[in-house]
Amino acid sequence: MSDNLQFIVTGLATGSVYALVGLGIVLVHQVTGIINFAQGEFVMVGALTFALLNEKGLGLVPAALSALAITVVVGVLVERLAIAPARKSTIERLIILTIGASIAIQGITLVVIGTSPHFASAFTAGAPYRIGGVVILRQYLWVFAVTALAVVTLWYFLTRTLTGKAMRAAAMNRDAARLVAVSPSRMSLLAFVLAALLGAIGGIVLAPLQAPSAGIGIALGLKGFTAAVLGGLNSPTGAVAGGLLIGVIESVAAGYLPSGYKDAIAFGILFLVLLIRPNGLLRRASSVRV
Amino acid sequence: MRVLVTKLAPYAVFVGVLLLVPAVFTRVPFFTMANAVQMGILAIATLGLVLLAGFAGQISIGQAAFYGIGAYSSAILTTRAGMPPLGGVVVGAVLCGLAAYLVGSFIFRVRGHYLALATLAFGLMLGNIARQLEITGGASGIVDIPQLALGPLIITGDLRYYYLVAAVLLVVIVLARNLVNSAFGRSLRALGDSEIAAASSGVDLARHKRVVFVVAAVFASVAGSLYAHWVTFVDYHTLDLLLSIQLLIMATVGGLRTVWGAPVGAFLVLTLSQAAQELLPRLSSNIGGEFEIAVFGLALILVLLFLPSGVAGGVLGLLKRRRRTAPRVPTDAS
Repeated sequence: MSDNLQFIVTGLATGSVYALVGLGIVLVHQVTGIINFAQGEFVMVGALTFALLNEKGLGLVPAALSALAITVVVGVLVERLAIAPARKSTIERLIILTIGASIAIQGITLVVIGTSPHFASAFTAGAPYRIGGVVILRQYLWVFAVTALAVVTLWYFLTRTLTGKAMRAAAMNRDAARLVAVSPSRMSLLAFVLAALLGAIGGIVLAPLQAPSAGIGIALGLKGFTAAVLGGLNSPTGAVAGGLLIGVIESVAAGYLPSGYKDAIAFGILFLVLLIRPNGLLRRASSVRV
Repeated sequence: MRVLVTKLAPYAVFVGVLLLVPAVFTRVPFFTMANAVQMGILAIATLGLVLLAGFAGQISIGQAAFYGIGAYSSAILTTRAGMPPLGGVVVGAVLCGLAAYLVGSFIFRVRGHYLALATLAFGLMLGNIARQLEITGGASGIVDIPQLALGPLIITGDLRYYYLVAAVLLVVIVLARNLVNSAFGRSLRALGDSEIAAASSGVDLARHKRVVFVVAAVFASVAGSLYAHWVTFVDYHTLDLLLSIQLLIMATVGGLRTVWGAPVGAFLVLTLSQAAQELLPRLSSNIGGEFEIAVFGLALILVLLFLPSGVAGGVLGLLKRRRRTAPRVPTDAS
């Protein structure tokens, strides 16, 4: 029993990071209608910058702030250089564009930083807590707290501030938003900035748990898609729930099956959900009318 | 007679280029015949994607899955079941077609982004499973796959293999071009432009999508088989996500709306990758050849933004504009 509990706790920790990735994907999708295949790379840039600076002896806060800043710059560059000029393209082209952005970020990181992983120390040193046979790393608590804070702040921003409401308006109807002086182009940029921030936050809390290298973005992005799709692609709450769910399923499955099947299970779930309940687990399916 | 000449002219040019390749590739130090074989194989797989994503507008980020099915079928059938290599290629293609039919009959319940994610998930799942199962050799893969033989004639050496691959490429290009210019192909393009308009003109969307999905899968499977018998080894890297993305890049760079986009894209992207491997390490000592991925990404973004119809599409557009002075004849899609 304590085995299962342990798997669940570990799963919730990685699931929190997936939730943050999924949240970024949902946000960009809502505002721009694009699925951003580069979201996982934002996590990678955030995690790697943080770990690298941390290794160089920079403290927690300055390293984290620099990682956030650099990731936001990457997010802005992606939006301005690749997405904004192609606003009018078809969906297939936009998908291919974000894939191009994703591998470009990965490749440039490889050129600048190299292939080797880097190590960040845990936010607070000390032995893990033990509650009835379940080991809880101190970093897990940081992951939970930071994720919760990020989710609540995002919720507050989207529902209680004027800019946040303008962003949701642009997501609902671009033309109507433009009529009331909301610029969809600015909102698209803002969505990418927020997505980069969310990705970087996920990367920073993840870095002490899993030494990041330039290649981790793809897998994280894919888990984020799974989280977002489980929640229905349009629901921030759904993405968070989906992320935690995927983290737990993956962790429990890895406990009972050969570890190689861990990823196959996550992608199997993504495939099945897309085909059976493309509107997410919680929503009623609405059929496509042609 | 005149019609026949204009119909056959593109093929004549293409055959000429294919025959010129060995003369150039064996003399220029930059290229080897192995590059040419690789270009040909990937062009075959890319061609399927051009039909699927370019003409029918159905994106797939999982083409490597079908390439992998072909490669693994060839490997398993020849090494474990003692089948001749050619049998492996054919049976692999049939199996792959069946698999694609099965997947295609429900994957098109979703469109656009969801389709991209579904094909992506399918490819990744298959790659992960191939790494685990015993029949696929697990993580170490399958070695000692026999070389391809036509009857008693075993095709050895990159040069001979190139001629074989070039012949297959020519055949699939002729097939694809005929398909595109048939009534079926016109429906396909209509469906790529607007599903609603196509459906209201009586195009059976589900059937068309499924058929083009199967065709693309079979092309990918043949390419995968050819690859397996060439390198005589497959493992789970054969159906890596990176290959799916590479095929997508080739199709986009070459041109999504012309069958010539496939060979042009395969040539350009592999040349670029070769150049990156040669030149990048010279720029800085700590940059190795594996950083070509950055070049891929940037090339993809640049082509999409500045040359949306791809290189082959752009060249064809120029040719057509020059021909405008001549009396207009209804032009086929090339």
